[in-house]
Amino acid sequence: MKLLLKFDFTKVCNAVLKQKLQAHQLKFRQTAFGEIELIDKASEEQLKVFYDDINSFGIEVIEDPKKIVIQKIKDVIVDMVFNERDIQVKTSVYLAEQLEENYNYLSNLFSEVTYTSIENFIILQKIEYTKILLTSEELSLTEIAFKLSYSSVAHLSKQFKNTTGITPSAFQRIIAKRKQIN
Amino acid sequence: MPTPSNKYLRTAFIAGLFVILCIGGFTYKHISELSQTSKVVKDNYSLRNELELIISNLKDAEIGHRGFLLTHDSLFLNPYEESLQKVTSNLVKLDTLIVSNGEQVEKLKQLKGDINNRFKNFDKSFSLANDDSILTRDLLFLLHEGEIRMDRIRADITEMLALEQRLLTHNQEVNEKKIGLTPLFFYGLLIVTLIILLLAYVKMTTDLKALKESNVELEIFEKLTKQSEIVSNTSTWVWYIEDNEFEFSDNLYRLIGEEPQSFEPTLENFYNYVHEEDISNLGEQVNMMMREEELPFTSFRVVHRDGTIRHLKAYSKLMDDTEGDAKMLGVTIDATNEVENYRIIEQRNQELERTNKELSAFNYVASHDLQEPLRKIQTFMSRLESKEKDHISESGQVYIQRMKSASARMRMLIEDLLQYSRTNTSEKEYLKTNMNMLLEHAKTELIDSIEEKHAKIICDDLPTMEVISFQIQQLFINLISNSLKYSKDKVPPVIEITHQEVLSKDINEIKDSLYKYHHKITFKDNGIGFEQAYAEKIFLLFNRLHGKSEYSGTGIGLAICKKIVENHKGVIMAEGHPNGGASFTIYLPFLK
Amino acid sequence: MNSDYINIALADDDEDDRFFFTEAFDELKLKSKVLLFKDGIELMEYLNDSDNMLPSLLFLDLNMPKKSGLECLKDIKATKRLSDMVIAIYSTSASEEDIENTFVKGANVYIKKPNDFEKLKKVLSEVVTTNWQYHTSGLNKDNFLLRL
Repeated sequence: MKLLLKFDFTKVCNAVLKQKLQAHQLKFRQTAFGEIELIDKASEEQLKVFYDDINSFGIEVIEDPKKIVIQKIKDVIVDMVFNERDIQVKTSVYLAEQLEENYNYLSNLFSEVTYTSIENFIILQKIEYTKILLTSEELSLTEIAFKLSYSSVAHLSKQFKNTTGITPSAFQRIIAKRKQIN
Repeated sequence: MPTPSNKYLRTAFIAGLFVILCIGGFTYKHISELSQTSKVVKDNYSLRNELELIISNLKDAEIGHRGFLLTHDSLFLNPYEESLQKVTSNLVKLDTLIVSNGEQVEKLKQLKGDINNRFKNFDKSFSLANDDSILTRDLLFLLHEGEIRMDRIRADITEMLALEQRLLTHNQEVNEKKIGLTPLFFYGLLIVTLIILLLAYVKMTTDLKALKESNVELEIFEKLTKQSEIVSNTSTWVWYIEDNEFEFSDNLYRLIGEEPQSFEPTLENFYNYVHEEDISNLGEQVNMMMREEELPFTSFRVVHRDGTIRHLKAYSKLMDDTEGDAKMLGVTIDATNEVENYRIIEQRNQELERTNKELSAFNYVASHDLQEPLRKIQTFMSRLESKEKDHISESGQVYIQRMKSASARMRMLIEDLLQYSRTNTSEKEYLKTNMNMLLEHAKTELIDSIEEKHAKIICDDLPTMEVISFQIQQLFINLISNSLKYSKDKVPPVIEITHQEVLSKDINEIKDSLYKYHHKITFKDNGIGFEQAYAEKIFLLFNRLHGKSEYSGTGIGLAICKKIVENHKGVIMAEGHPNGGASFTIYLPFLK
Repeated sequence: MNSDYINIALADDDEDDRFFFTEAFDELKLKSKVLLFKDGIELMEYLNDSDNMLPSLLFLDLNMPKKSGLECLKDIKATKRLSDMVIAIYSTSASEEDIENTFVKGANVYIKKPNDFEKLKKVLSEVVTTNWQYHTSGLNKDNFLLRL
């Protein structure tokens, strides 16, 4: 039996984090997604054990302030794309609002650290979401284009091909064939 | 095997036999009845005779009696005694004559009583007469009584005679009736017999005629068979299973290079001609045939006495519905030409296969081994261009540019050529595919140049077809990119794609197709078009209508289109007007 | 993921191609370590030794003597320990069907070797950054298909 799963990453991450913090007996308060504040002071040693533990779940504690900002940008974008946030303003404005920073600053910082632009990252996420919708749900490309607020199917199709080098249908075909083999 | 005609004959024969038996029976019965009647008549007469004799004898006795009474001479007693004896024997005879007639027996009894009384009367009168020589009263009385008794006897006899007469008449009547019918009856039977005989004769003659005709037909057929055996290099044989005897047709002898019927048709003799390499296999097959009473197609070679080797093929089957002995009917064919042709085809196929293999090997060489050095040349050139730019003179840089464009063209040629040969060798998997989807894919592939040229593509709803999807997609890509490439300067290209189902017989180019229906898909553009005279040439490999500098291209794109359409058993045609656009029409066959 | 260096491996029998490859990475100035293998056998020997550190990104030439890229791909996909590696096919050219086939068999990236050094650099950097995105942004690696 095969099950197709769809994750609410925010919930999963929060749940894992909460469980781990409690396991290490750390009192905390969540201030935002991907940001917590420890209420009591913990020892270096205690923190190291905790870091190693959550590291195995792919959670990394970011100490570099730049990295913190980048992670926040990514979180906002992922949340925007995957939760299909209906945003009326331009993405740049939205990001600036959410992070309370100048967009140019964010954009430069992002490119500097990740070797890619915010725009590219957004496209990457959108295409990623398209991939998930294409393989996990019975949606046509037209429906997906509408869902992701693309002006036309051709536009999504073109962006998909530019990003991945293959057409959406080829992608669908390849994944379907892989599933058949496994 | 009873034929209908046989059945008729048998019925006629049985009927005739029956009638004749009937006639015999009736005749016998009638004759015996006749002889019976004449015996009755004879008996009747002797009865009468006896009765009359009785009277006459009684009279003789009376005469003797009277004579004795008158004379007392014992001489008269002799005739009297004699008569008495006669009467007794007469009565005995009468007894035997009338034994079967109850009425007469009754009468005879009475007669016998009366006669007895008469004799008693005689005896009384004799005893009286002995005492007296004269007639006494008693005697007279006795005489009277004798007279009365005599009368009574007469009356009895008369009655008996009358009765006998009646019987005779009755008998005669009955016999006359019977005998009177006999000739008519015989005649009737005779007529019936004659009719049956006649029918049988007619039937027999017609049957005989039919038999004769079919004999002639059989003869013709046999001759034709012999001729056709010679012409078609075939022969026939029969194997009578129970006697294990063979019968070879003339041509079987010829097939093994011998004169017809020149040796005894046995398996052993035949085996002498079979190729020694095939003899064991053929033997096995024949043994199997003897067990299973069927010989599947068996091939073997025979060697003529002059050394010629021929390939023969034999087949045999048990003749079913045989009444008599079971037999196998066999055919042996000279299959030398067939085998030879097959060998040639096989050889050609092998050659073709080898050529194809060489072609795909070439394909590989072109794809990998040729492309690789070219790619390295290009890469090194790009290194030279960027890294060593400062060390190369201006003219040197021009040379580099020229080299770059030349190698780019070579690359394009190799790639296109590769694609062309791939349309030959790639897997040919025909799947039901939505053509709209393939067109969408083609458009996605070309999205950049479509947007760059602001091209508009108008398209009918396309059907679902059984195609090699990769190839049809390539076909669409090539046709659309062809239209995009040869568009008019500063005029946005418009490509119209239309579809309709057509009957093959209505279209000249496909009227000889084995398929009844075709999909007609037309790509029409508003580009620079071409002279109609080149309509066929443009599909040829490396054929270009324009100079390399005007329009880039290798002259392979449309050749690939043609190849793809041919792979799908279809036809592609081009129509163009200089400056008036071009249209490409594809006919692809399909089954409803 | 904590390491600052990205481990990259290339298996290609062609010396020039290995040369272009390392030179391109040198010029890209990515924090990378490049391992080179001359054929499939050499590569698989390295990968199957559990003492060795596994590259996170493996470039495979399809056409190699002794053991072809496709055979390596098949072996790698069948080994659980190696299944986490991102595999990029690095080949001269192939038909559409062949390309799709390598994806179906588990390749994540298909690169047609470019004929221009600058293009090569661009392509390699794109692969590395996309790979990096998949590693750092929680994307589903099963959906990682890239053709360049």
